[in-house]
Amino acid sequence: MTDLAYLTMAEAAELLRGRKLSPVEYTRALIARIERHDGKLNAFLRPTPEIALEDARRAEAEIARGDWRGPLHGVPYGLKDIVDYAGLPTTAHSKILEGNVARADAVVAQKLRAAGGVFMGKLSTHEFATGGPCFDLPWPPARNPWNREHFCGGSSSGSGVATAAGFLPAAIGSDTGGSIRNPATMCGVVGMKGTYGLVSRRGVFPLAYSLDHVGPLTRTVRDNALMLDLIAGYDVLDPGSVNAAVGGYTADLERGVRGLRVGVIRHFYTRDMEGDAEMVAAIEAAVKVLGDLGATVREIETAPLGVYAACNRTLLTSEAYAIHEKWLRERPQDYASVTRERFMSGAFVRAADYINATRVRARLTHDFHALFSDIDVAITASAHDPACRIDDAEALDRTYGRQARAPFNVTGSPALAVPVGFSKAGLPLGMQIVGKPYAEALLYRVGHAYERATQWLERHPALA
Amino acid sequence: MKNEITLEAVRGMAIDAGLTHLTDEHLQQLLRATRTAQARQAALPTADLTPADEPAHVFRLDR
Repeated sequence: MTDLAYLTMAEAAELLRGRKLSPVEYTRALIARIERHDGKLNAFLRPTPEIALEDARRAEAEIARGDWRGPLHGVPYGLKDIVDYAGLPTTAHSKILEGNVARADAVVAQKLRAAGGVFMGKLSTHEFATGGPCFDLPWPPARNPWNREHFCGGSSSGSGVATAAGFLPAAIGSDTGGSIRNPATMCGVVGMKGTYGLVSRRGVFPLAYSLDHVGPLTRTVRDNALMLDLIAGYDVLDPGSVNAAVGGYTADLERGVRGLRVGVIRHFYTRDMEGDAEMVAAIEAAVKVLGDLGATVREIETAPLGVYAACNRTLLTSEAYAIHEKWLRERPQDYASVTRERFMSGAFVRAADYINATRVRARLTHDFHALFSDIDVAITASAHDPACRIDDAEALDRTYGRQARAPFNVTGSPALAVPVGFSKAGLPLGMQIVGKPYAEALLYRVGHAYERATQWLERHPALA
Repeated sequence: MKNEITLEAVRGMAIDAGLTHLTDEHLQQLLRATRTAQARQAALPTADLTPADEPAHVFRLDR
């Protein structure tokens, strides 16, 4: 079973297409693994084994008659529980939406269904994609599969845990201030926040309209690119959706990094906010690997991390408060304490302050993207620390803001989180590869080259 | 907003904003949250914005 648990999506696709592996057998194996281990990890808020087996049987019949739909056909996947799947509750991990049944699929769910994927269930999230980890909610928070006493990152917590734990090869998350890349880093998997507007947000419960992104978490860069191929694309009914050419994200994977210009935003994790020594060392070692592979590396400067963070949080809390104002007025007690406090910081932001934050945003975005006239990709930290203990409220509060992910929600730039090693305590470490808008294929190319040159993929958490 | 915002001030602002179901614990959270928001505001470089600096979200009609 362990072999099936850690098949990549690409490997599974080849076996399934060649009829060397049955989608039903594969799905049953993962369902059994989830049943055995997820009680300790809480990756799933709502597993759907019946739906999964139905999808698997359908896929098996289609593949048998030669109707192969593509790399997700017969492959299990999961959705963060802010993503609508028709007929199932979308709870956002909150008492407030406990009975909220989705009437239609989110666009991303439609696409994965059409691709023949096997839907395994709804995955744990921080409440409304912001408040967590919380123990005062109807469902428990997800835990880190590398050490269950530790935080797994969020808000796409279940998505990170499920992929790292071998429950799924692929999951969908969302990212408003880092929520795909945080669990990707904490769980040692790959997470892509693409260019703003690349993936439709329709049918995904919003946190902040102008900062929300939807994207995949997977165990390998290739799998992530395969998933982005499936979910990217213009949606005329999503006001933020961009009508740009998409797809082909695996095309450049094998091109290597020789001659690419890498800019390291070192001040984000040194001068602006000093990162944990092990995290910093791992990122620097990763940068050296890219240099050894033939990239030219130099340090670059952008606005201070604190400016990006202030801009992100002003916009996020204002937009989120507007969405939640009615519930905060009527039933504030039904939020988890952490969520309530985070949303309430948007209560008294003046209109002029919000507008000014968007004006600063425009400048930051212009100035950051101007850097790409002299570089091809940027590298920086994702988290400043390995995952802290999940029961240490002080550490969780302290490390919440210690990250360098929010800048790229502000600028809308694509940013790929990849693993770069493990701490002495055995917790994953990670970095981000960042590009100019629509440079996802280039980020995958760099991430894949790094992945091939290192052995982090070969390690898996011991779940027993 | 001044940094020395008090619990009583926040209580009044909450009532004005329709947040009338907050317990004392919630109000303490709102006070902390408001102070955090003020600190964020102070960290934004708005002093040198000019009228030509337009918002990032500009209303635009598709053709």
